Parts: sequence; structure tokens; C-alpha cells
Amino acid sequence: MTPAFSPFLPVLLLFLIALGVGAAILVVSGKILPGLMKPDNPQAAKLTPYECGAPPLQQGARHRYSVKFYLVAMLFILFDVEAAFLLPWAVQYKTHLGTFWAMLGFLATLLVGYIYVWGKGALDWER
Amino acid sequence: MAGINLDDSVMTTRLDSVVNWARKNSLWPLPFGTACCAIEFMSMMASRYDFSRFGAEALRFSPRQSDMLLVLGTVTNKQAPVLRQIYAQMAEPKWVVAVGVCASSGGMYRTYATLQGIDRVVPVDVYVPGCPPRPETMIYGVMELQKQISRESLSARKDHIERFYQSMARQEELQRAKGLTSYQVVREMVLEAGAAGGQQIW
Amino acid sequence: MVIERIEAQLPGAILEHHAFRGDETIIVAGTRFLDVVDLIFGEGYQLLLDVTAVDLEAPDYRFEVVYHWLNLASQARLRIKVPVAEGAAQPSLVSRFKSADWAEREVFDLFGIPFEGHPNLTRLLMWEDFPGHPLRKDFPLDGGDLFCSQDIGASFAPEARSLNA
Repeated sequence: MTPAFSPFLPVLLLFLIALGVGAAILVVSGKILPGLMKPDNPQAAKLTPYECGAPPLQQGARHRYSVKFYLVAMLFILFDVEAAFLLPWAVQYKTHLGTFWAMLGFLATLLVGYIYVWGKGALDWER
Repeated sequence: MAGINLDDSVMTTRLDSVVNWARKNSLWPLPFGTACCAIEFMSMMASRYDFSRFGAEALRFSPRQSDMLLVLGTVTNKQAPVLRQIYAQMAEPKWVVAVGVCASSGGMYRTYATLQGIDRVVPVDVYVPGCPPRPETMIYGVMELQKQISRESLSARKDHIERFYQSMARQEELQRAKGLTSYQVVREMVLEAGAAGGQQIW
Repeated sequence: MVIERIEAQLPGAILEHHAFRGDETIIVAGTRFLDVVDLIFGEGYQLLLDVTAVDLEAPDYRFEVVYHWLNLASQARLRIKVPVAEGAAQPSLVSRFKSADWAEREVFDLFGIPFEGHPNLTRLLMWEDFPGHPLRKDFPLDGGDLFCSQDIGASFAPEARSLNA
């Protein structure tokens, strides 16, 4: 016989209790206990960035740095993706002649790009 | 929510003792080691004297992550603003232990170069004499600090910390006004305090 | 020995010389100093160990800048003292000896003796805007801090110095 109420009502009840207990824990540990125990004393000197006690060498953490980091990261992505494409090709290039040459064409394009990058000195870290 | 006032004082006291118990048994030190006392500190951390019994195994060299500033060794007048900055950047609750006579009073160095006791520039809770103090002496000093902590009250405002931050603001203002380095400003504040009869600049 | 050779090649450069248990010291006038340095470099004294100074408050010159050299081949040491008047500058040896760099900065910081030709003559031990030069005899030991030597007694106060009375 069908019960008068949904059989999932206990599940709803459990869910609500879990929600309530969770909320209570969050409120107690996030608001009530810190309100009692936390020494809340924001001071200007306390919030200064930590540089071993010395005055900061540069104003702020966002200062200029060399573009070579960006270049290296970008080139890495390009050639890494190329390498990733080489992997599935490597296992089945012998199946068809066209497969081999198609990838060679792709590699040739990237080779031209590589020679250009090399010539431009983007691979020269110390510059 | 700066503070909830519980009118039931019995409950506050019990909370005080629980919180203080937790704090005193987990004092994470910031070893501000400058000289020989730091070597004695190292032997205190080692297995024979084993400071980590006191919950102090986690040495944090960052002021944000530590509770207890252990000043181990001579602090020069050039180092004084650095010490002040480190103490200022520490998150509360925080305590300072002056380990050794150089930190407590300038030690054997009565000169223009040595700060005659760190209590001139930062508030100190416990002084541990010795040159250098034996590890047992330092442990005794920390146990004294633990006794002090267990007597603390949660709701009481720490007056010395308040005055310290006011002195930091004064220092900042003098630096801007006179265009001097922090070293010279702190030195002038110390000399001025000495001439006025007191010795502390906080 | 080297002193005779210096006398032979640069007559009149050495104002005075004395030795104590094998410790040779020569006093050289400031004007002949660089010639003597180049000569002893040729003789093998190629390691400049230290540059320091003494505040003598003597009547004709105030400071004496003291240099120490070591001859690595013969293990012989030589000390050269140069009398310097107050306010006068010394030529810097940084171009010849890299070890003179910070040693000369220290002498400048603590005595106030400038070194001509030093690439970065700034204070080394004290902070940049420290007033005065601490190792001069007229600089008080406590640096003007009334509470520094308050319970030692007056023996370190500038007025009570009896050494140079």
C-alpha cells in the first residue's frame, strides 16, 4: 500500500538537518568563536608586505620584468603541442604513405618557424 | 563583530582557560637569531633539550605565521627598525622573549652601536638572562611565559601592543616629515626618550 | 730586504721604519704612497690584508692610515702607515687590490677619511645618515645616549678621558 507521505521525506529531513548542522558549525566557528577569541587589531604597520623587516626594494609586488619569460613560455606551448601531435602519429605512420608525408609537411612548417625564432635571438636567454 | 559580550562570566573564564591552554602549548617561535644565543637556541631545539615538547617544534621565520618572537643575540641600533617592523607584522596574539643579556639590556656592549635592550623599541614579556643562557634557562623562560599566558584574559586589551603601534605610526610620520631613514629616526626616538627620562619609545 | 730595496729605488719615501719581532712597519708620506705600493707589488706583496686607521690627534697630522700586506711567496708581512691630516683624502687602492673596496669604505665610515677614486664611497657599518664618525676620539663611546653608560660611572664620559689630556 502506498504510504500517505513520500518515502523520500526522511531523506529530505536528513538533508535539512545536515544543512542546519553545517550552517551552525560555520556560524559558530566563523563568527561566534572568533568573536570571542580572535584578537581583532588591524593596523597599518601590520599589513605591510614582509621583506625581512627591511624597507621594500620596489613599491608593490607588480614590477616590471623581462619579456623573455613570456617568450619562453609561449614557445614552449607551441612546440609542446607539436610534440603532442607527434605522439599518436608515431604509432601508426607506417600504415599509409600519406600519413608520413602529411606530418612531415606539418613539421616543415614548424621548422621554418623554429629557424625564424632562432635567428631572431628569442632563444638567447642572456640578451 | 569585534567582540561578543557574554554576561555569564563563569563561561568566559572557562573559555579563557581553554584558549590560553591551547595558546601556551602551541607557541610557534620566530627565532630572531643574531648572535651566540641563537646557537644555544639550536641546541635547545635539538634532541637533548627538545624544545618541541612545548609545542614549539614549528619554527616559522615569517611574522605572519608565528606567535612568539625569540630575540636571540645582540641587536644593533641599525637592526632596531628591522626588529620593530618584524614585530609589527606579527599577527596577534604575540609575545616577545628577550633571550640573553644583549637582547635584555645591551649586555657587555655599552656603545653607540648596540641597542641597550630591545625593550627600548618593542614590548617584551620575558627576559632570559645569560651570556648565553643554557638551554635549560631558556626553557625556564618559556615556561614563565606559559604561566603569564595562562593568566591572560581574552577580553582585556593589550595596552603595550596598542602603544607599540602608536610608536610605529610616530616613526612613520617622522620619517616622512624629516626625510630620514628608519635607522636614524629610531635612533633619534631612542635618544629623545632617554633624554626625557624614560627609555622606551613605545 | 724589501725596505732596503724601497730605500734604494725611492729615496726619501720612507719617513721612518721600525720592526718588532719580525713585524716590519714603514711610515710613508702620502705623496709617495702609490709609488711605494707599486714597488712592493712588484716585490711580491700582492695580498692586501687590511686597511684601517688610527685617530692619533697628533699635532701635525690627525690620522694614520694603516695598510697590511702579505707576500704569499715568502710569507713576509709588511705594514705601511700613512699620516693623513684632517680633511685630507687618501688615494684609493681599489683599482689595484679588490680587497681594498670594503676596507676603505669602513675607514671612511668610522673615521671620515675620504678615498679618492673609490667607486662607491658610502658608509658600510653605520647607516647612511648617521651623524659623525664613531671611531674618532672626539666621538662619545655611548653615541650621546644618556642611559647607555649610566651606571658604569663617569670613566667613559668624554670629559673624563685622561689618555690624551
